[in-house]
Amino acid sequence: MAMRQTPLTCSGHTRPVVDLAFSGITPFGYFLISACKDGKPMLRQGDTGDWIGTFLGHKGAVWGATLNTDATKAATAAADFTAKVWDAVSGAEVLTLAHKHIVKSVHFTKDSNCLLTGGNDKVIRIYDLNQPEEAPQEIPGHTASIKRALWCHDDKHILSASEDRTVRLWDRNIPEAVKTLSFDTSVSSMEYLADGDVVLITYGKTIAFYNAHSLELIKTIVTPANIHSASLHPEKDFIVAGGDDFKLYKYDYGTSEELESYKGHFGPVHCVRFSPDGELYASGSEDGTLRLWQTAVGKTYGLWKCVLPEDLVSENPEPLYPVPAEIKA
Amino acid sequence: MVLSAPPRYFHCTAFWHTLRFCAKCSQKNFLRAQMKTPVCVVRLPRGPDPHGRGFDPTSPRYLALCPSSLSTSGEADPVALRTEQRTRAMMRERFLRCLFSMANKKIQFLMYEKVKVAGVFGASDIDVLNFQVSDLQTPIGVQTEALIRCQDVISYSFDM
Repeated sequence: MAMRQTPLTCSGHTRPVVDLAFSGITPFGYFLISACKDGKPMLRQGDTGDWIGTFLGHKGAVWGATLNTDATKAATAAADFTAKVWDAVSGAEVLTLAHKHIVKSVHFTKDSNCLLTGGNDKVIRIYDLNQPEEAPQEIPGHTASIKRALWCHDDKHILSASEDRTVRLWDRNIPEAVKTLSFDTSVSSMEYLADGDVVLITYGKTIAFYNAHSLELIKTIVTPANIHSASLHPEKDFIVAGGDDFKLYKYDYGTSEELESYKGHFGPVHCVRFSPDGELYASGSEDGTLRLWQTAVGKTYGLWKCVLPEDLVSENPEPLYPVPAEIKA
Repeated sequence: MVLSAPPRYFHCTAFWHTLRFCAKCSQKNFLRAQMKTPVCVVRLPRGPDPHGRGFDPTSPRYLALCPSSLSTSGEADPVALRTEQRTRAMMRERFLRCLFSMANKKIQFLMYEKVKVAGVFGASDIDVLNFQVSDLQTPIGVQTEALIRCQDVISYSFDM
């Protein structure tokens, strides 16, 4: 039975949502953090989009946000030249790490002991969170702002994407980049999937997949619009992407075929991420909202409920709702 | 909201919304072939609470994971823990009473960047993130109403 996708809109932000990240799966479910230009990153329950709390303290737009695997810590990168570490259970600010320019990207190691930061001062920094007053390890080399810096290969290597149109692979113990990929245009996003050792890079209208060790190209997909962000399903069945034309695109990873496109956002889509169980994906947009989308449309999961046709015509249906027009929470 | 029953000219409810012909009896139906039913939702995601910053302290996750913020004490001695808890409760009560007694009094604030301002205290917000003050005397003039960001304040003093 063909069903139409019903995205769930999470409102609350007042400015564009520029980054989002899921935690791993914890005994309390999984969680989602969103970075917003209003300076107030929010934590939400990952499968329902219910708001849990807002991290208050940044004095400028928040450009990057991340959670550690068990969602006990959060980190944010902001235009107030700081990266902050938060207790993601109580919402309290734990650490402020001063930088010399806008910070764009933050990423925890798997054991949450180190934080990787990157930003407009072109230097990658590694902070030891157990000794925050110690100076961070610095890795210069990029010649323009760093957009994203990620740990990979069991936190032994670092992948960084910069406005200097390169993606570089670093070993934290070696000052020069181990490998460099050059592009003709700015890289808009980068994701790393440990399972399969794949790096997903988007630039222009292209989604490209590389081997994370050799940085050899595996495949590319060309889309109808400039893509700002893409995400690969944890089981590598699908890719979702969003960009300038406000739509979400879904591709089959194996065949590179476009499966679906969804309208819904009222502005360019800045970030898309699959949940850790792959059942849904979240998108953040210039319109200030986050939307949750089902991977398998029509399945009962989270707030979505599978309804068979017989139930639709029954005398006393359950209180199910079609999603009404935009509601401000 | 109840989705309306399929129109009468459909014979078979299983395929009514996708096929032009009813699969069971080959009767033509006049509905457009590609009408898809939107997926139903139980409710919408809950939005932010306008009155606070969230992180509900009564939630199961908070109760299970949040250390009691008693960072100074070890877990070994329950008696010491109780004494510390009592002391913390007393300090908290004292702080709240202090805020209460500050109402409508002239307060001098010492802030970062060698800033010294004075104003009449109005109220604090629930998380003690901002103080509402009136007649704030600043080097560039008097602000009738202002919010002072607590994290920028080093200390403040007033006459009781």
